[in-house]
Amino acid sequence: MLRDYVHRLLRPGLLVILFIGVILLFFILIGKPPLQMFWSMLTYSMGDVFSLSETLAKTTPILFCALAVIVPARLGLISVGGEGQLYVGALTGTWAALQFPDAGLWILPVMLFAGAAGGAFWGGITGVLKAWAGVHETISTLLLNYVGILLVSHLVYGPWKDTANLGWPATRSFPVNAILPKFHATQIHLGLLIAMILAIVLHVLLNHSRWGLSLKILQRNPAVAALSGLNPIRQTILVMLVGGMLAGLGGISEVSAIQGRLQPTISSGYGLAGFLVAWLSAQQPMRALLIAFLFGALLAAADSLQMFAHVPAASAVVLQGLIFLTALIINQLPSQWRIPFWTK
Amino acid sequence: MSAAPRFSLQNINKRFGEVNANSNVNLDIYPNEVIALLGENGAGKSTLMKLLYGFYTPDAGEIVVEGEPLVAHSPKQSLRLGIGMLFQQFNLVPALSVLENLLLAFPAAPWWQWRRRRLTTDVLACLQRIAPDIDPQRLVRDLSVGEQQVVELAKIMALNAQLVILDEPTAVLTPQEVERLYQFVAQCRADGKVVVFITHKLADVRACATRIVVMRQGRIVGDWRTETVTDNELIQAMVGKDTGLIVNRIAPPKHLLPKLMVKRLNVSSRVGTITAMDFEVSPGEVLGIAGVMGNGQRALAMVLAGILVPDSGEVILDGVSINALAHETIKVPDNVAYIPESPLTNAVVAQLDLATNLQLRALDALPFLQWGMPALHEAQHKLAAHDVRPSDPHLSAGALSGGNLQKLVIARELSRPVQLVIACYPTMGLDLIATRNVYERLFAQAEQGACIIWFSEELDDLLRYAHRIMVLHGGRVQSIGPVASFDRQRIGRLMTGHAQAC
Ligand SMILES: Nc1ncnc2c1ncn2[C@@H]1O[C@H](COP(=O)(O)OP(=O)(O)O)[C@@H](O)[C@H]1O
Ligand SMILES: [Mg+2]
Repeated sequence: MLRDYVHRLLRPGLLVILFIGVILLFFILIGKPPLQMFWSMLTYSMGDVFSLSETLAKTTPILFCALAVIVPARLGLISVGGEGQLYVGALTGTWAALQFPDAGLWILPVMLFAGAAGGAFWGGITGVLKAWAGVHETISTLLLNYVGILLVSHLVYGPWKDTANLGWPATRSFPVNAILPKFHATQIHLGLLIAMILAIVLHVLLNHSRWGLSLKILQRNPAVAALSGLNPIRQTILVMLVGGMLAGLGGISEVSAIQGRLQPTISSGYGLAGFLVAWLSAQQPMRALLIAFLFGALLAAADSLQMFAHVPAASAVVLQGLIFLTALIINQLPSQWRIPFWTK
Repeated sequence: MSAAPRFSLQNINKRFGEVNANSNVNLDIYPNEVIALLGENGAGKSTLMKLLYGFYTPDAGEIVVEGEPLVAHSPKQSLRLGIGMLFQQFNLVPALSVLENLLLAFPAAPWWQWRRRRLTTDVLACLQRIAPDIDPQRLVRDLSVGEQQVVELAKIMALNAQLVILDEPTAVLTPQEVERLYQFVAQCRADGKVVVFITHKLADVRACATRIVVMRQGRIVGDWRTETVTDNELIQAMVGKDTGLIVNRIAPPKHLLPKLMVKRLNVSSRVGTITAMDFEVSPGEVLGIAGVMGNGQRALAMVLAGILVPDSGEVILDGVSINALAHETIKVPDNVAYIPESPLTNAVVAQLDLATNLQLRALDALPFLQWGMPALHEAQHKLAAHDVRPSDPHLSAGALSGGNLQKLVIARELSRPVQLVIACYPTMGLDLIATRNVYERLFAQAEQGACIIWFSEELDDLLRYAHRIMVLHGGRVQSIGPVASFDRQRIGRLMTGHAQAC
């Protein structure tokens, strides 16, 4: 009993130590003093209110994108489409916000709804292609990412460009009422709260509801679905719609709260980070919440390090990749050597 | 008995936790015997033979080979002593070819000699001898279960075993494959080998054995020469008490107006074909369906269950077309019990717990949000009533043995009254008592007025319990009629495609 309990506490602990080791090794390899750099990373990501606010601001879209991967994954679908759905959600949300320059506060839910709908539409394309034509979801989400990103570029360089910007590709600024409220003077915005609530809701739905059970049955043994009257086509489309909706919310909340207008680049790799978080969390929303925070910290620290310590900008991506790879390798080791990673 | 025993198990004891798997077992094995080791599930047969093979070490007792007591016994030593064992679970690498699997069995071969010429030709010769029709280049994952068993046997023979232990080899075989296995055993005997044949089927015993040893609850409770013992004595020794294992055939239906109608059915699909099939079943009637596996049974069962849409024709139960429903949502209707073949792949979700698996047919009845197990009490009750072991509802279904999975599915499907039961090989992997229990529950449904469609390969049971028999061949009804007009030979001929012969 007690041993089990100690084990459960120890496992994530050991894993974190291992990740720290990976990070230190990375700094040694690029010829920087590792301990000093690691310490700076900590301070730049959580050392004061400003850093913590940066971290949480980045945690928000990562968490949305992670949830967008988790939901389809519960049906066994591997979606890499968080990035594209995020862009399209930002696009449709922006469209709604800019329609009503003089709107009251009611524009906030309308804008969020529009963003969610856009993301859902983008995810739904993949769902329909998969359900009706058997197109592999990983391929179609991957390709739709490019389409979504280019669509935003096309609009902000072209028809939606604010001429007052003098060539700078961006739309008009959001009206004040369409900007998500922030927590005091920080970068932490309402989106974080929404993402956290959705993570909890999804945790309950996926693990404790009849719907979650249906997904499990369909994923594990489709042959049994007919005994239970489950409809694989409907569920495939549904999980892709829900996934897209989540990433879409991430997109519009990021644009509304942080950037204030639609630009060609909205995301600094949130789709990829979300994907990694989803798989590191073993598709558990509550774990994803914690891991998204760590990845947010990593991205925030990398931003600052780039400015103050001349570490290459790509470091964050490299580190994310290394951490993910380490976790994968650990999971593949023969069980007697393995530091047991998340147990299901 | 002649001469000295070649293998001798003396006072063997083996415990697993609380369970006494073997207690004080003494068994002498003499040259040129075929011993049938008979007993119900859990009697300790596999354990005893795994001890002899060196897979387990006895807690107490000795194993003596040719007069020499063995110390530090192991499967490796068995190889030297010429003891080979066919396990219930096969030990093949699915992604490798038959030949590669056979070569892998030789522990001494250093890797750079993996494809040694000599060895390869020897192994091929061995395979050729016992299974001329298996292409050694085929991948093991493409083989049927029966063919995989043959590869395992070839492995044992290639290692030149003198004592061949077969652990329930017929449980997974079709009747044709069973015949071939019997021939294999006879050939072993002719070659001067000793065979121990573990089974709980009396037919196996009669076909092969020179001597019969019966185990019950970890002990040997009987040891006869085959000619000197009757089936009844054997059953009594296995089961322990004088239980009537024979269920009575239930009375044939009174009203003959059809309840289930199958009309001009045509199906051609991945799972099989059906051509121009027509039949009717009355309420309370048991229709037994015989046929060599793969002659349309699977497709017929799925069409009747409403989960395969036929190309033409229809299935009508109580005036409602089952297949018209299937066009909306694919679902087995609530008044139909469906027990498909191979429960692990077709009827349960291995990763989910037993309680949830028992609920699979009634998901809509679950509350939308649910902490903990669904219907825990009911589940415990059903598991106990159907003697599913272990009976912990929290366990995942994948942890159950094949026979217990079968009981689990039957517990789910037959615990409520239904109008139609489709049972595909419902007693496969079950021992005598469990088989009787299944038949009782199956026929109880008929007594309540349900139609029973019962696919089986146990021809004796079909002849004993069914009201009518239908023989399938090539997706067609080869013959259908009252049970009195059939016997084993006639069914056998019809199954292999001979038309209405004498
Ligand atoms: N490896 C094991 N661990 C625990 N219990 C076991 C193990 N193997 C067998 N048993 C138990 O020992 C008893 C005899 O099992 P077994 O020899 O497999 O029976 P049989 O082959 O006659 O069906 C059963 O009650 C079974 O549950
Ligand atoms: Mg056994």
